[in-house]
Amino acid sequence: MSDQVNVDASSGSGFYKMMMGFFASYGFLPVILVFLYLGFGLVEPVFLTGANAQNIIEQASYLIVLATAQMFVLLTRGFDLSLGVVVSVVSVASAMVMVSIAPEGEGPVILALTAGIFTALVVGATAGGINGICVAYFGINPFVVTLGMQGIAFGLATTISGGFPVFGLPDTLINTLGQGATWFGFLSPPVGVCIIILLLSHFVLNYTVFGRSIYLLGSNPRAAEVGGLPWRRHNMMAYVLCSTIAAIGAILITARTGTGEPSTGGGLVLLSIAAAVAGGVSLRGGEGRVIHVVFGGLLVSVLSVGMNLARIDSFLQQVVLGFVVVGAVFLDRLRLRIRL
Amino acid sequence: MRGNTIMEKILTPIHKAESRQSAVMRRLMVLGLLPLLMIVLCIVLGMIEPKFLRSANLINVLRNASFLMLIASGQMMVLIIGGFDLSIGAVVALTSVTTALSMNALIAIFPDSYLLVISLGVLAGLGAGAAVGLLNGFVVALMKVSPFMVTLGTLSIASGLALYMTQGVPVYGMPDLFTRDFGRMRIFNLPVVIYLTAAMLILIWWMMNHTKFGKYMYAIGSNEHAARVSGVKVTFYIVATYTACSMVAALTGILLTARVGSGEAGLGATLMMESIAAAVIGGVSLRGGVGRVEMVALGALFLALVTNAMNLLRVDSKLQTIVIGVVIILAVGIETYQSKRVKR
Repeated sequence: MSDQVNVDASSGSGFYKMMMGFFASYGFLPVILVFLYLGFGLVEPVFLTGANAQNIIEQASYLIVLATAQMFVLLTRGFDLSLGVVVSVVSVASAMVMVSIAPEGEGPVILALTAGIFTALVVGATAGGINGICVAYFGINPFVVTLGMQGIAFGLATTISGGFPVFGLPDTLINTLGQGATWFGFLSPPVGVCIIILLLSHFVLNYTVFGRSIYLLGSNPRAAEVGGLPWRRHNMMAYVLCSTIAAIGAILITARTGTGEPSTGGGLVLLSIAAAVAGGVSLRGGEGRVIHVVFGGLLVSVLSVGMNLARIDSFLQQVVLGFVVVGAVFLDRLRLRIRL
Repeated sequence: MRGNTIMEKILTPIHKAESRQSAVMRRLMVLGLLPLLMIVLCIVLGMIEPKFLRSANLINVLRNASFLMLIASGQMMVLIIGGFDLSIGAVVALTSVTTALSMNALIAIFPDSYLLVISLGVLAGLGAGAAVGLLNGFVVALMKVSPFMVTLGTLSIASGLALYMTQGVPVYGMPDLFTRDFGRMRIFNLPVVIYLTAAMLILIWWMMNHTKFGKYMYAIGSNEHAARVSGVKVTFYIVATYTACSMVAALTGILLTARVGSGEAGLGATLMMESIAAAVIGGVSLRGGVGRVEMVALGALFLALVTNAMNLLRVDSKLQTIVIGVVIILAVGIETYQSKRVKR
C-alpha cells in the first residue's frame, strides 16, 4: 500500500504533488476542519454566527495552551499523563493561596494575585521537575512516571481542598483573566495568553539550542547522546516546561470558573493529547510544530461546540472523542506512509 | 567484521553467564523481598491494630486481592507482549453495565428461567469485553500504532458508552440468584470469588508456561521481529492477547457486579492504575518479554494488604492514591535500575 502511494506521488501531476505535499506537512486536518465547520453549519445555522466563532476560538485557546504543553513532551518521544491532574493541583493550590491572602477580594489583592500566580508556576514546575528527573536521569518509562504522578497529584488536589471547589477568589482575577473580560477593548484574555505562549514556544523550538535538541532527542536519541548535548538536562526541561505551561493554563481555567477546581483536570489529558496528535504532532517524537497544535485545538473545539449545539449527549461526546483519538493516530500513521 | 564476530563469540558466554547469575540474584531478590515485606507488614499491622488479624478482615483482604489478581494477570499478558492496556478499568465498567442491563431486559422476556437469564447476561458482558479487546488488538497490530494511544482512546469510548447507557445511574433489579446467592456465596466460609480466581490463575499459569500461545507471547515481547521472521503469526497473537486481556477484565467486571449487586458505570475506575501497579510490583517488565503470573498475584496481594492497612489506620482515601502513585514509580524505578546493572 505504501509503495502505491509512493509511485503515485512521484509520477502524478503537479496539482497532485502539491496536494500530497500539503497533506504531508499539514495532514488532512485543515480540510477536515473546513468540512466539519460547514457541516455543523448546515445542521445548525447558529453555528456559523460570529458570536459562535468567537466562542469556539475562546474554548480552543484553553485547549491549545494545554496541547502546546503536551507537545514539548511528545517531541522528546515522551508523554505526560499527569498534565490534567497537575492542572487540578495548580488550580486548587493557587486559589487557596489567593483566598487566604485576600478572602473575597478584601485585602492586598495585587499581592494575592502575584502570590497565587507564583504558587501556580512553582507547583507546576515542581511536578514537571519530578517527572523530568525520573524520566531523564533515572531512565524510567515516561508513561509510568506520569501515571504515578497522576495518582500523586490527584491525591494532593483532593486532599488539600477536601474534595470541594475553593470559593471566594478576588474579583480582580476574574475581571482581568476571565472569559468575560477584554484586553485593549477587543482581545479575550485566554486568546491573548494563548497567542503569547504560541509565539514564545515557536521561538524556543526553532531558535534556541534547547528547542532544536528537543527535536533531535525525539527523532534520534542516540545522536543527541553522542552529539555531546546536555540531553538529560534538556529532556528534563521539556517536562518542566510542559507542566509550567499547563500551570498557566490552570490559572486561566481558574479565572474562567472563578473557583479552584479539584476535579476539572481529569478529562484534560485526553483532550490535550487528542488535540496535539490530531493536529499532527507525532507520537514517535521529533515532529510537530506550533501551527499543528492550533489546528488540532480548533478541531476538538469545533467538534465539542458543534456536538453541544446539536444536543448530543455529553457521555456520547466522550465516545466520539475516543474515536477521534484512535482516528488521529491512524491518520498520523497514514501521513508517515505518504511521506516515505 | 570477522574480528568482531570472533570477539563476540569469545565474549558472549562470559556475558551470558554473568547475566544469568544476576538474573538469578534478581529473581531471588524479587521473590525474597516481596513475601518478606508482606510478613513484616502483617506482623506490624497485627501489633498496631488487632482488628487486622480477625478472620473477617483477612478474608476481606483476600477477596479484594482476588479481584485485583485477576485483572492484573490480564494486564500482565498485554505487558508481556510489549503492549499496555489503559482501557482495562473502563472495560470493567462497560461489562458491569452491559451485564446488568441485558439481565434486566431478558428477565422481562423469560421471567422464570433465571439460569438462562444469568448465563446470557454474563455472555453479553464477556462479549462487550471481547469487542473492546478486539478493537484494541486490531488497531495496535494492524496499524502498528502506540498501544498507549489506542487504549487511551478505547478507555474514553468504553467509559463513555457505559455512562451513556446508564446516564450515570446504577442499574438495579438483577436476579437475586446472581447478586445474592452467587455474589455472596461462600464455600468453606471463603467467598466463591477466591476459588474462581485461583482457578483462573492456574489456567493462566498453564497457558503462559505450557502452551504455544504463552510461549509466543514471551517471544513477541522479547523480540517481535525475530518472532515474525521465525514464522510466528505475530498479528494474530497480538490481537488474541489484547482480547484475552479484555475478557479477563470483563470477568472481573462480572464478578464485581455480582458482589456490588448493581451495574455501575463508575466501577473499576481505580483498577487501571492498580492493575499496572500490581503487575509492575510483581516484576513484569514494561519493555515486554518478562513476567510471571504467580509473582503478579503476589504483587496484587501486597497492594491489597497496603490498601487494607491504610483503611485500618484510617488514612484518607484520597491520600491512598498518592501512596499507590509513589509505589508505581518506585517499583518501576527499582526495576529499571536493576536491568541497567544487568546490562553493565
